[in-house]
Amino acid sequence: MERRQFLNLTLGALALAVVPASVRAEDFRTLKPNVWTAHTVDDAIKAMYGTTELIENGSVFLKASGEAYNSGKKAVASSGGAIPVVFSTEVPAKTISVYQDANPESAVIVYSVNEYSVNEYEIKIKMGKPGTITVVVEGQDGKLYAAKQTLDVALGGCEG
Amino acid sequence: MAGIKVKAKLKKGVVNVKAMAKHEMSTYNQMEKKTGNREDANFITHITATVNGKVVFDASTSQFLSKNPIFKFNFKGIGAAGDTVVMTAVDRKGGKLSGKGKLK
Repeated sequence: MERRQFLNLTLGALALAVVPASVRAEDFRTLKPNVWTAHTVDDAIKAMYGTTELIENGSVFLKASGEAYNSGKKAVASSGGAIPVVFSTEVPAKTISVYQDANPESAVIVYSVNEYSVNEYEIKIKMGKPGTITVVVEGQDGKLYAAKQTLDVALGGCEG
Repeated sequence: MAGIKVKAKLKKGVVNVKAMAKHEMSTYNQMEKKTGNREDANFITHITATVNGKVVFDASTSQFLSKNPIFKFNFKGIGAAGDTVVMTAVDRKGGKLSGKGKLK
């Protein structure tokens, strides 16, 4: 009886695991679970790509709360609940991921780039306190290109 | 089943999509404060867009997207005016969201 139940459970679990895989392209939450529990940006990037060597040569554009990363100005978000983050790159990319260091965990989003992608994105994120947003582009050459923007948050968005 | 609003516009060969998913996107800490149980946290974990059965946008997400998160993205090489952009998302509790928009 126990064995039968075990088998049933296993089959059920397998079926569950198989169905979403055919629907989704790449689910990085199952592929790389450690990325989402990492508490620092470095740990998350390491869990995602196996290295933290970032190239900051201007090939990634990032604008958070209206200030571009290379404007030299510190961005200020009046509310941490919905901070607009705009980023784009011309680098032929495999994946693009976004991290911040203000919340308990670091990873925000991981895009898998496909043949139709034009790599310009905008999202709105939550930040509990001032911090730095990092966008990492994994190039098809295997290198990691990045841009960072530090911003002040006047009012915390997700209570830490 | 909650919804995703999708707006898609074809401009100079590139399709601009603006989508908003209706979702609480609660974090572990928020729920710990609210209900005392971190496991009550619920947020979209994966979101996909397809046109004519082909995936044009695919992202894994965390709890740090804003409430009712907005996704803007672009694609090219597929889709003509009148086609439909279909978006689906799954949240942490297995809930499904979907929505579609006609390409203009």
